Amino acid sequence: MDLTTNHFLFVSAALFVIGMMGVLTRRNILIVFMCVEMMVAAVGISLVAFSHETATINGQVFFLFALAVAAAESAVGLAIVVALSRQGRAPDVEEMQTLRN
Amino acid sequence: MSWELVFFAVFSAAMLLTGIGVVALENPVHSAISLVGCFINVAALFVMLGAEFLGVLQIIIYTGAVLVLVLFTIMLVDPNKLPAFYVGKPMQRNVSAIVGAILMVELGVAIVTRVALEQIGPHTNAMVDQMGGNVQAIGQVMLSEYALAFEVASLVLTVGVVGAVVVGLPNRLGALDTVTMSLGHSRGAEDAIAAGPKFESPMNIPAERYVAPVGERKVVMTKDPDKYTHPGETSK
Amino acid sequence: MGDQPIWITFIVTFVIMIVLLTSMAYTTWYERKVLARFQDRIGPTRTGPAGLLQPLADAVKLMGKEDLIPEAADRKVFYFAPMITFITAILAAAVIPWGGTIELFGQSVNLYPTDLNVGALFILATGSIGVYGIILGGWSSGNRYSLLGAIRSAAQVISYELILGFSLVGIFIITGTMSLKEIMFRQHETISFGPFEIANWFVLSQPLAFVLFVIAAVAETNRAPFDLPEAESELVAGFMTEYSAMRFALYFLGEYISMIIMSLFASTLFLGGTSGPGADTYWPLGIMWLVLKAIAFLFFYIWLRATLPRFRFDQLMGLAWKVLLPLAILNIALTAFFRLIGNGQVF
Repeated sequence: MDLTTNHFLFVSAALFVIGMMGVLTRRNILIVFMCVEMMVAAVGISLVAFSHETATINGQVFFLFALAVAAAESAVGLAIVVALSRQGRAPDVEEMQTLRN
Repeated sequence: MSWELVFFAVFSAAMLLTGIGVVALENPVHSAISLVGCFINVAALFVMLGAEFLGVLQIIIYTGAVLVLVLFTIMLVDPNKLPAFYVGKPMQRNVSAIVGAILMVELGVAIVTRVALEQIGPHTNAMVDQMGGNVQAIGQVMLSEYALAFEVASLVLTVGVVGAVVVGLPNRLGALDTVTMSLGHSRGAEDAIAAGPKFESPMNIPAERYVAPVGERKVVMTKDPDKYTHPGETSK
Repeated sequence: MGDQPIWITFIVTFVIMIVLLTSMAYTTWYERKVLARFQDRIGPTRTGPAGLLQPLADAVKLMGKEDLIPEAADRKVFYFAPMITFITAILAAAVIPWGGTIELFGQSVNLYPTDLNVGALFILATGSIGVYGIILGGWSSGNRYSLLGAIRSAAQVISYELILGFSLVGIFIITGTMSLKEIMFRQHETISFGPFEIANWFVLSQPLAFVLFVIAAVAETNRAPFDLPEAESELVAGFMTEYSAMRFALYFLGEYISMIIMSLFASTLFLGGTSGPGADTYWPLGIMWLVLKAIAFLFFYIWLRATLPRFRFDQLMGLAWKVLLPLAILNIALTAFFRLIGNGQVF
């Protein structure tokens, strides 16, 4: 049995699903945030695997851009958590409903 | 069984286990440590796929910067205010399990039935080696074909940094709840004293200037003489 | 080229590990001796000739001590946090080249454990994982001083790692590679400077980057004057307040290993690595030059500790973001500009 792209794709899909279930079930905003990062990494594995299979470098470049966007997103997300905790509010996704209605 | 397959099995098993750990561990710090392990294994998979530059970047950016910031934030947040470990309401939990299973099956079917891409691109292994390696190949493509996207990415990062600073500034969201008072003179003390009976001022405030507590406010004391909260600024 | 059977790689790695661990122990002796000279003392003398057995005595003492764990500690994290620092510090030695390929007993032997295409970034990556040892150790102790030390360390290491990385970009622009071996062999060439033939060490073409690198390296290894995470006058001992016996020793030795690695790294990048008189014909001389350069760096580290007072935390962060980062970006822009002139693409 040889290592094929499909192996990497399966692992990537599994990691993506784990991350998604984490986003759906956990309440702590920081854990939700970490699960989103995990999903980004899972997509990265797919991109790099396809890049390897087709012998193009584009998939790796795409993931580089995804990395940049994820870094910017994490900066803003963590600033929001810090601002919340300054207000003395819990980092709880179910209590963050200021913008509802 | 090739050695590659063994390494792949080890790395991906470790990655998935630590990934489950992120979701299932109760303490957020333990979750973050688990995520560190997960990302290191993701980097190992990248290296197996011949993308050593991305592997190292994954470690430097995600593990070295983003996750350190996450840990930093977890440690700064009051642990008593963290939501209790809670895997959703039963309905939520079931829905997530069902959706996850459906998605996994769907992806699995897609992967198994997918037609292998036959077109081999321009960056064959010999080509990459000729350019000097993975880093050089990525640099070549990124700064020519994707030059515009590269510039936009730097713009996104700049906006992200500015946004983070603006959101994180103490006087934006926190203005209603904190009062800043400078040490050494009484400026800003009017509002600070209104913070409630629990607060004891380091100075003597005359009784007639004492304002009845308006609500719970956090008092920040600063050495900078110009950074006091102006009267009325917080009493919105 | 460097194809060799795997058992030779194992032997080379093993020898490097042994040498590194011994030299780590003797760095503590060296620091004591040099520091004593700075303070007009003579340092350890009782254990062996000139105190040379002092590291051994220290090791025996540390192993014999009780391993205390605080009540409030998160035990699992507390157990493995020191190991992260130690292991990642040693891991970085994997990409330091000690020379090219040599003939020994009829076998061709590579004097480098591995030649990664991204070697310079690999050292930065191990450094960025090493900071977890400090953060988690501080957090898991369940002690305010430790937590403060950990948080300071996180902020400090993230800021200075940026500068460490940026100061290397000039070299990457000049050489067009990130492999430490190739960077080192580029410096074995000579350039003519007027009537003289001088070595092409990058400290000559990248002086600003060298200064930035040295400052950032001192901050990255948490040494004085940037030893804020363990500032004993403010934080008792920072993140290692609650650690004792072998766990404390792991932190302590991890710090010395990262000092040695940083010295070797700086010598390889800026001071020509094994380049020196006779190194191209006779390989032990090359190793000797590299070791001498690293010892000079270690002396510089100790000199700083003996001379400079500790920075205040806001000064530290201000220095990183307001002074060093713009200088690093200026250095990159200048290097890129001169590279373009050299290629004849401008003017």
